[in-house]
Amino acid sequence: MSTAFAYRPTASPQEAAAWTRRQVLMTDLRTVAGRAYPRVRGMAREKSWVFFEVLLPFLATSAFVFVYRALQAPPQYIGFVVLGGAMTAFWLNVIWMMAQQLWWEKSQGNLELYFAAPMNIMSVLFGMAFGGFIMASTRAAAVLVVATVLYGVSFEVNQWVLLLAVFFLTLAALYGLGMVLASLFLMWGREAWHLTQLLVEPVYFVSGLNFPIASLGLLGSVAIAILPLAVGLDAMRQLAFADSAYPAGTPGPGVEALILVAMTVVFTLLARWALKTLERRARQEGRLSVRWQ
Amino acid sequence: VSGFEATGPITATGLAPPEWGGFDPARTRGRAGDVLRSFRTSTRLGWQMEANWTDPLLFFIYSVAKPVSSALILVFMLEVIGGGSKPEYRAFVVVGSALWAFVLSGISGLAWTVLDDRERYRMLKYVYVSPSDFLVVLLGRGVARIAVGAMGALITLGIGVAVLGVPFDIARVDWPLLVIVMAIGLASIIAIGVMLAAICLQTRQESWSYPEAVGGSLFLVSGAVFPILVLPALVQAVGLVTPLSWWIEGVRQSLFPGGISSIGGTGSLFESLTGQASPAPGQIVVALLATGTVATLASIAVFRASDRRAKDRGLLDQTTGS
Repeated sequence: MSTAFAYRPTASPQEAAAWTRRQVLMTDLRTVAGRAYPRVRGMAREKSWVFFEVLLPFLATSAFVFVYRALQAPPQYIGFVVLGGAMTAFWLNVIWMMAQQLWWEKSQGNLELYFAAPMNIMSVLFGMAFGGFIMASTRAAAVLVVATVLYGVSFEVNQWVLLLAVFFLTLAALYGLGMVLASLFLMWGREAWHLTQLLVEPVYFVSGLNFPIASLGLLGSVAIAILPLAVGLDAMRQLAFADSAYPAGTPGPGVEALILVAMTVVFTLLARWALKTLERRARQEGRLSVRWQ
Repeated sequence: VSGFEATGPITATGLAPPEWGGFDPARTRGRAGDVLRSFRTSTRLGWQMEANWTDPLLFFIYSVAKPVSSALILVFMLEVIGGGSKPEYRAFVVVGSALWAFVLSGISGLAWTVLDDRERYRMLKYVYVSPSDFLVVLLGRGVARIAVGAMGALITLGIGVAVLGVPFDIARVDWPLLVIVMAIGLASIIAIGVMLAAICLQTRQESWSYPEAVGGSLFLVSGAVFPILVLPALVQAVGLVTPLSWWIEGVRQSLFPGGISSIGGTGSLFESLTGQASPAPGQIVVALLATGTVATLASIAVFRASDRRAKDRGLLDQTTGS
């Protein structure tokens, strides 16, 4: 056990409650690890989850691959679809296991325990995000590998470092957005489930999941400015199919990486503010333990 | 005298009801009016559960956003490749994605009714012990989601015609074919939904994904958004025995006679089996009727077996925390 939590004789309960910076930091780190643990440990525990989380994005990806095959599209378009299909694993994880999580915890009766515990609730969100990222990575990798082999996709990467940087920045921004949505969904209550449904196909469309986003024109530009999936996917396509003809009209991967950095910072700060505000409101209105509403 | 001896002459023998009436099993079987009342009530309940969480405008947006976005994804894929210049391709993908919204609503509506009532609201056992036939309740609850799906499909088609340039001519519509394939197709969708609901009665956690998984698999083989001739012959064969393939083909041929066939085409399995480039309307109806009948009979058998097993094993009130 860490010495930060060793017994320390104090003169009063108030003094005992005044934690050192180290104690606060250690508690928050333990919270991150504790909340990430069930997601990492449980990755393969429920076999049917693994099956469906790989199968569903793979089926959707396959359908769009066959659409391009029926249209006799150039081979890189099959690659665009496969890359987009792999990224859906992260988006689905963000909306189902991040955005909806706090509302679900409330429905299960756990949320009041989170707020009563001596920890920063942002640590819970970071833990959820980290565990979710590990979990979704295995699903995305499975979809990417199987679809790449099955449909004969060949990647042409010239800038590996930038590609990896863009990938991780995309995930950081995505999970940042997930943290913002988690706070908002807590407020929206019963609408959360329906709104989660609403955030699937429309987001796929405006993010250009199966086609280059440049073809969306102004709508595509707006999506690049606000949706991490849109900007990250566009940058990754430019880097993963470097020698292929790619529709012009979007910023280069370097600029898109900077947009992702800005998104990560903004979404994290926004999540912190939203969570504090909503926690205060929920405490005032006594809604932290109200279920099914 | 023990007190249990009969005080008068016993006229009934065995399990027959006594002379004074006693338990009358016939009274537990609902008449047509009772069945209709159960169906109406569960339909209303289903609609309330679907729609009362928000205001009508948001509900409308929610109902149409998914199918319209799905159609737009496909239309933009056509545009990027240059297929957008061919209006018949647009008609093909818009009709397919609109109809698929309807299919998913029908399939998932019935399966999620079981899961909602068992896992979320924990009411399934109470619904089961009520005098209503559970199958009637299930169908009534599914109607609301089918209605939402139908609304989404109609609006998607409307947007396709009004905004996306789908060449629709109402004078060319083959109305008799449309009415027949819609009726048989709807019955087939409900049959698949009932089968999935029966399976969900038996399963534990994460059955929520079953309708999507089944829908996704059928989406691949039904020719919803691409002609099935691009699939391997074995998978085409699976598509040909699926009622949804014939339903989608029938609706396409009735709305856009002479358009692209999702079942036929040069080099397709259908062509090699029949020697025809695409199925005629009569063939579509016969094939849909045959495959739909098999699906319906199978769903009834599966549902009855699942119903018996669930009662036998105590699965009706066994929540799994999903």
